[in-house]
Amino acid sequence: MADFPFRWVDGFTLGAEYRAVLRPGEMVRDRSRRLRRLPRFFYEVPSWEAAHDTDLTQHFKVWEFIDVDVRETELLRTAWPRYVPCAVAALAAQLELLRREVGTYVHISANGGYRSPAHALSSYASTHCWGTAVNLYRIGDDWLDDEKTLGRYSRIVRELIPGIWVRPWGHGAGEADDHLHLDLGYTEAVPHDAPGEVEGGAGPFPGIDAGVAETTEEVA
Amino acid sequence: MISEADELEERVRRIRQEAGARSVAVAWYDYETRTPWHYCGDEWFHAASTIKVPILVGVFGAAHHGRLPLNSRVHVRNRFLSVADGRPFRVDSGRDANSRVHAHLGKTMKVRELARHMIVTSSNLATNLLVDLVGLDSLRASLKELGIEGIVLARGVEDERAFDEGVNNMVTANGLVQVLRHIEEGTAFSVPASARMLEILHDQEFRSGIPAGVPDDARVANKTGEISTVAHDAAIVYLPDRKPYVLVVLTEWDRGASGRSDTIARISRAVYRHLTDGEARDG
Repeated sequence: MADFPFRWVDGFTLGAEYRAVLRPGEMVRDRSRRLRRLPRFFYEVPSWEAAHDTDLTQHFKVWEFIDVDVRETELLRTAWPRYVPCAVAALAAQLELLRREVGTYVHISANGGYRSPAHALSSYASTHCWGTAVNLYRIGDDWLDDEKTLGRYSRIVRELIPGIWVRPWGHGAGEADDHLHLDLGYTEAVPHDAPGEVEGGAGPFPGIDAGVAETTEEVA
Repeated sequence: MISEADELEERVRRIRQEAGARSVAVAWYDYETRTPWHYCGDEWFHAASTIKVPILVGVFGAAHHGRLPLNSRVHVRNRFLSVADGRPFRVDSGRDANSRVHAHLGKTMKVRELARHMIVTSSNLATNLLVDLVGLDSLRASLKELGIEGIVLARGVEDERAFDEGVNNMVTANGLVQVLRHIEEGTAFSVPASARMLEILHDQEFRSGIPAGVPDDARVANKTGEISTVAHDAAIVYLPDRKPYVLVVLTEWDRGASGRSDTIARISRAVYRHLTDGEARDG
């Protein structure tokens, strides 16, 4: 991984109140009831000023990926440090490709970057909980809220970024009609010198000892 | 011998007749004489934007109970689900009332900012964001907790499919008087909360109804409401050297009828004269 001003942390070593909302390494079910393992490794963002001032890429700052509203848990809204999965750097790199291609501002919506599993809008193993998803509501002067505009930018993204997943246009569950949702799937970034999968950790191996976490009913 | 109250009723009827309104309801509570009065005060009307006052009370109720700090930030998103069929709809972004909130699309605004825009500029976008956030059940529970009747909070605003199915927010003049009395008396959850709501109502920008019927030195905290077939105003009127009164005027019209605000202003003037005995200062 490239040098980055924030240190990475092993979620297993965080205090209980953070582990309760970040749920590192825990298993959750997606919409098709397949099990997905939540990220274990996070960047530690020490303050709002640091988030605001630190570049992830040339055109994207850290804060844009952690901007949440009152639907996020109080701990991750009001306290610092905050934590964002290390895979966010890969997402930012892909978005930078888009930014350079379109040559204008690419706006990430509030609640459109990382959301913790405890966020009221997180359901069915939302990839936002992996830090690998982003909701764009505007690109330059184009509001991404109609089929034609969303279709145009979807095509650009697919041609530009290999392996990217774009939420289809529509009004139903799993579709989008007022933003462009892009994601890299259930990707986790594990730092080179991070502990291995079996050793280390501050407790039982999540997902086996703690059982499988079920999601709640989807919030529109 | 005809009483003053009967005279007022007769005057209201005459104003209604002259204006050609289909229905009129008037209710007031006077803190100076500690008397209530109403004309068709329990008749139901489509609330239009007057429902935003009960919603404001509900938002402060949620804050009072610790569910929603007023400084919390809310994602501004123009997408809501119809209570009729669950399909999405949007608030018309072309309305001036929504422009300042609309300018924050994709970003966040504080709950207290949205509450302010809901009332001061009658922003429908702000209203629906708050209804979505707090929830209809919670809003209704707040009104019930205060013992308010005569208000039916059924949905957000601009939900056209719900409108087509007859699912509408409804109010009575007496119901809105109850709401405003709680705010004036400091019993809308707490004295500070009530004071904040009152401050917001004082800054409301639409002044051609009840405020237009009282002298210039009166201060009026009010909320208007208007759609194609109704025009309303609900207010607390503060006069110098006199305790205030709460006044609600609800009117229903044929589509395309004119003179609606003027009719409310005339009724406001009639009530003002009735309560103050037409003193010289009314010019």
